[in-house]
Amino acid sequence: MEKLRPGKFIRTHFDQCTGCSLCKTACSLHMFGGYNPGKAMLRIKHLWENLAHIPVVCEHCVNPMCLKVCPTKAIFKDEKAGTVIVDQEKCVSCGLCSQYCPLEMIYTDPETGKAYKCDLCQGNPECVQACPFNALELRDQE
Amino acid sequence: MSDSSYMGKILHIDLTREKFTDMDIPSWLRDSYLGGKGFGAKLLLDLVPENADPLGPENVLMFLTGPLTSTPAPAMRACVVTKSPLTNTFLDSYFGGYFGPEIKYAGYDGLVFTGRSSEPVYLHIGHNGPTLKPAEDFWGQGAIECSQSIKDHLKDNQIKVATIGPAGENRVPYALICCETNRQAGRGGAGAVMGSKNLKAVALRGNSLVKIYDQKMFVNAVARANREITDSPDCRGLMATGTAGSVEFANETGLIPVRNFSDNTSALAAGLGDKGQSKKLWLGRSACFGCPIACSQMGAVRTGKFASFVTDIVEYETAAMLGTNLDIGDPRAVAHLNRLCDELGLDTISAGACVSFAFEAAGKGLINHLPDHELRFGNVQAAARLIELIARREGELGELLSLGVKQAAKQLGPEARSMALHVKGMEMPAWGPRGAPGMGLAYMTADRGACHQRGFPVGYEATGMEWKGKPVKALELKGKAELVYSLQNYLAGTDCLVKCDFGAMGVNPDTYALLCNAAAGMNIEASHFDRLGERIWNTTRLFNLREGMKTTDERLPKRFVEEPLPGGPHKGHRISESDMKYMLQDYYRIRGWNENGVPVQETLDKTGVLINNKFTL
Repeated sequence: MEKLRPGKFIRTHFDQCTGCSLCKTACSLHMFGGYNPGKAMLRIKHLWENLAHIPVVCEHCVNPMCLKVCPTKAIFKDEKAGTVIVDQEKCVSCGLCSQYCPLEMIYTDPETGKAYKCDLCQGNPECVQACPFNALELRDQE
Repeated sequence: MSDSSYMGKILHIDLTREKFTDMDIPSWLRDSYLGGKGFGAKLLLDLVPENADPLGPENVLMFLTGPLTSTPAPAMRACVVTKSPLTNTFLDSYFGGYFGPEIKYAGYDGLVFTGRSSEPVYLHIGHNGPTLKPAEDFWGQGAIECSQSIKDHLKDNQIKVATIGPAGENRVPYALICCETNRQAGRGGAGAVMGSKNLKAVALRGNSLVKIYDQKMFVNAVARANREITDSPDCRGLMATGTAGSVEFANETGLIPVRNFSDNTSALAAGLGDKGQSKKLWLGRSACFGCPIACSQMGAVRTGKFASFVTDIVEYETAAMLGTNLDIGDPRAVAHLNRLCDELGLDTISAGACVSFAFEAAGKGLINHLPDHELRFGNVQAAARLIELIARREGELGELLSLGVKQAAKQLGPEARSMALHVKGMEMPAWGPRGAPGMGLAYMTADRGACHQRGFPVGYEATGMEWKGKPVKALELKGKAELVYSLQNYLAGTDCLVKCDFGAMGVNPDTYALLCNAAAGMNIEASHFDRLGERIWNTTRLFNLREGMKTTDERLPKRFVEEPLPGGPHKGHRISESDMKYMLQDYYRIRGWNENGVPVQETLDKTGVLINNKFTL
């Protein structure tokens, strides 16, 4: 049966987040094979001169606007896992998905213009494992 | 080529000619000096002409990383190295936060600025490489304000910015560089050097990946380092209370400065420490990049006459220098003074020392009170006004105090000498040495002047902690030179990584070696850092001697030599001329330097100081 959302999802706890960005380095390592928190699939909103840090992760929406606006169907729903995935082969670098994600969860490679996004690391997210402060939590509703 | 956590190149920015050059890092430099402080020591010696004016175009300003900066190895930082306008010596100043890592994400191990721009500019490195952009519109702005202005101007809130405030623009010799909010290259006047170059800011956003030589080995080494941090009572203490936890400790042990070091215990300490701050200020924790300690306690002044503004933890040094040292006990008032210094771009330690100098001098009739403010201990408004006058070099008093206490005392005459608490021109930090002579020696010999971070023997002296299996006796002179020498070497060696002192309270030397080996394919052992540190101390020594530093400069301020401690567990103690002489000569001997503090040739050969290999631009 088609899954509307992934059975596993990341619950964020901003009150525990210190902004250290270890989640983002773990993500860039997973996606690109090296460290650079600027190339991560999740964000941290640093508010009020770092008084608050709010992690933002992809929701793998029931109604994914990124998927709807993609003109080449490069973004699709993995029906078994319930995740929203990008196929970079099909991506034509038009930037529409990035423009219409209200959480700014699409990463656009500055050189190729290709879109990248969270794939939940096949159910075992690296960002959750990397957080020393328990600000990211893997929930399982299956 | 196999992967390595080094980016392999340094960006040279010639501000006079507006020219950019990518410089390869020679293998001899990497092998002999590792990164951070090591690179800085060697490059400063090679690149700065003899007797260069620190505020002239011939001085060099460097932002340097190390092989572990920007990786998840816990608690890594970066540093600024230049010739100091405050001390005329080698200056290294360290900062955590998010600006340092971005240097490597921008593709470089370091940024080296030479020359002087004819107009105010800022360096922008984005996805299209480096450019110099006009900074007329930002000139005059506060350091924190300017950081946000540049983000707004570039429409990019993710960009990482280092800035100077008005103090740097006005070349106050203890002006700082603000490296993103709440993190500063604070001591020794690197901000004045930046201002002298007409460089208002550096704004970075990098797309490069930092790669690891052996990823599996690195992950294991990081896990080990993190375990060591979690297991360390010192690190756990910092997780709970940051450096504010030191306020009451320093008061109980009689180390805290009170009224310009004329006393060493204060009833105000309880309110300024972690208990007072947690009640009046703190709301939540914040971390530098990649740090599991998160020693920052972020908060806000939300009530009282200084409300309302966001504040980071008032660090120990600031709580003492702008608190007990000025007889100011409300943490909200100290946070207000701290904020003023941060925004105007002044080092809080030197600024606190200059204000306490002024209060004492006014009390003794050596300087006049301000028309609207009586210069007396405890007067917050007077302290705030002085800080503004200093940063803007405004009026006779602002101009005088902006010189630092050494030069200001010189102008006021011999009576002011005992009020000027400095070594080599750098104002004393907040750990009084009269009951801890090893700490006194560390101040006397530190390469950048009175600094508590080049060796911290007081940590042993005040607690009786063991060194090489024996408890350290506070007042004993014997053995202190060896202790200082060892601590200095290890810290300098690991300042090449670039480690944070707080992470180093937990992480073991062999784990640092393992991290380097995994990250950059090196093959080093724990003892490497001691040898490397010794090489660096000899290298910075050569620079300082070349620039005119004398062995007679390696002494403590008059007050610590002549006036006995008024209170605390070591009441009545001071560090006499003969104490200083004994420790200094013992130290020179252990370092392999002659009686004038000059490294003998055999020492240079033995420690591997590279005289013949020179780095050129």
